[in-house]
Amino acid sequence: MKWVGLAALAVFAFALAVLLGPAHVPVAELLRSPIVRELRLPRAVLAFLVGGSLGVAGASLQALVRNPLADPYLLGLSGGASLGAVAAIALHVGGPWALPLAAFVGALAAMGLVYRLGLVGGVELDPRVLVLAGVVVGAFAAAVSTAIVSLSEATALRNAFLWLWGGLSGANWDTVLALCLYAPLPLAVLFAAARPLDLLALGEEPAGYLGVDVAVLKRCVYVAASLLTAAAVAVSGVIGFVGLIVPHIGRLLWGHRHRALLPVVFLGGGTLLSLADTVARVAVAPRELPVGIVTALVGVPVFALLLRRWTRN
Amino acid sequence: MAQRPHLVGLLLALVACGRAGSRTPAAGSLAVTDDAGRAVTLAAPARRIVSLAPSSTELLFAIGAGDRVVGRTTWCRYPAAALSVPVVGDGLNPNIEAIATQHPDLVVLYASALNETAARQLERIAIPAVILRQDLLEHVARDARLLGRLTAHESGGDSVARAVLEALEAPPPWPTSASRRRVAFVVWDNPPMVIGAGSFLDQLAELAGVHNAFHDLTSASATVSLETIAARDPDVVITIADSEDARLPAFASAREWQVVRAVRERRVLTLPGALFGRPSPRAAAAVAELRRRLQALR
Repeated sequence: MKWVGLAALAVFAFALAVLLGPAHVPVAELLRSPIVRELRLPRAVLAFLVGGSLGVAGASLQALVRNPLADPYLLGLSGGASLGAVAAIALHVGGPWALPLAAFVGALAAMGLVYRLGLVGGVELDPRVLVLAGVVVGAFAAAVSTAIVSLSEATALRNAFLWLWGGLSGANWDTVLALCLYAPLPLAVLFAAARPLDLLALGEEPAGYLGVDVAVLKRCVYVAASLLTAAAVAVSGVIGFVGLIVPHIGRLLWGHRHRALLPVVFLGGGTLLSLADTVARVAVAPRELPVGIVTALVGVPVFALLLRRWTRN
Repeated sequence: MAQRPHLVGLLLALVACGRAGSRTPAAGSLAVTDDAGRAVTLAAPARRIVSLAPSSTELLFAIGAGDRVVGRTTWCRYPAAALSVPVVGDGLNPNIEAIATQHPDLVVLYASALNETAARQLERIAIPAVILRQDLLEHVARDARLLGRLTAHESGGDSVARAVLEALEAPPPWPTSASRRRVAFVVWDNPPMVIGAGSFLDQLAELAGVHNAFHDLTSASATVSLETIAARDPDVVITIADSEDARLPAFASAREWQVVRAVRERRVLTLPGALFGRPSPRAAAAVAELRRRLQALR
């Protein structure tokens, strides 16, 4: 029953994202209108894919570092992405794909660095060290990019931060296609790790006794979740709260089993970001709100409500 | 409740004191109220001015007080004579010590929260600061007169003000408003930001005989959906570039922007920031240049 409800909610959110917009398009012309075909539809699909990816990445990382505050950007990816984007603008790299690609490369570089710092003794990935390494690498990259921006004279650089604060304005069928080809692999790796992640919750040692190759599991989950987040940042900037709150909502309603939780947070994250983006486009039309603000405005009250209900029982 | 009359009385007394103070300045001093509502009093006309906004630097040179500018921002590059003035910062978050080393007797700031804090800091080290909000052409005229008073260049300030107001009141070139072309100023592409009625660019468009498609937005600029730009269907998309090159902006080749007819048909104008990046005394020249470029695009 819960599954039917979630699926219905997801379809409803997606339909709303296609039907509603600041421009008036009659229902009869929905499929013929270039505004719907080239702008709304790819944006709705992208919002769903990015929201779902952030939800799955957040849930997996929270399980990996066993920290409820973990979110997809905790491990330095947003700082690395902003440094990449700012560097691309400062070096005058042109073309419509320059910014997303540079942000992606920056996020991957941060991921590599955090991974290397998190390898204790060169072999074992320690979640606590990983979190610390992520925070310092992210802070360092953010500081370098802020320094470049404040010392530079190009207006374009100041606006690079607008892009990084997140938004789906750049959505088109090319970005959707790129994400559709890219995301299934890391998603499959994480879905396949559902059962071992359940065992990891018992602790690393017990999980090892139960037959989990803990070292391999941690590496795979870390790399897959980071690759997913890096792609999300590249196409839509840093959108907060989805990767933090949706996994918690999923656990409150579905429990801690990852085999159910991961599909739930994919649908839930996609639903939340679709709804939030629709609100961002429509609420103050013709103006537009930053979507990250709306995800917080929509997600936090829902989360608080569930938390209260859950702690009362 | 019983305390309320006292409070009101106290407030009124404070306001009265403030007014009395600003109405009776010392003999020979200059008193003005700036755009942040602060009373600014100078003992004598300013001789060493640090100007922290490109618009006010240009204005000071225009009214004939350019030789008194002893500090500028990296962005103040017009007129060419301004380039020989030392740079004291980027104008966003003023460096008080860098300003103080120029020993100014007046600092001109653009209206922002950071700059109001800076003005208070400057007051503490006895450097007067004036905060000017220059968004519209009227503001250029008003501030030309204000800076004219503060620098004892009243006639220079007055003639600049009159020239700007004259340009503003000039009759539009073609009277039929129905056939006017509609433009959209796109100042950033992701997220798309456009210019509204609160900006001088909206005024320049009207004066050049075209209509800003986002005239209904009252602020100077606003973030909008790409969908809204496509639906409003402007005839020409206008951008402002720092450099002089007239290449198409990068977003003009982005796939999602092809939904906007003006972009698809390559009716995109790139205007030089030196003339169009801020409200300036050269409003008449800006209008003529915009009209010329729009006609060339036909």
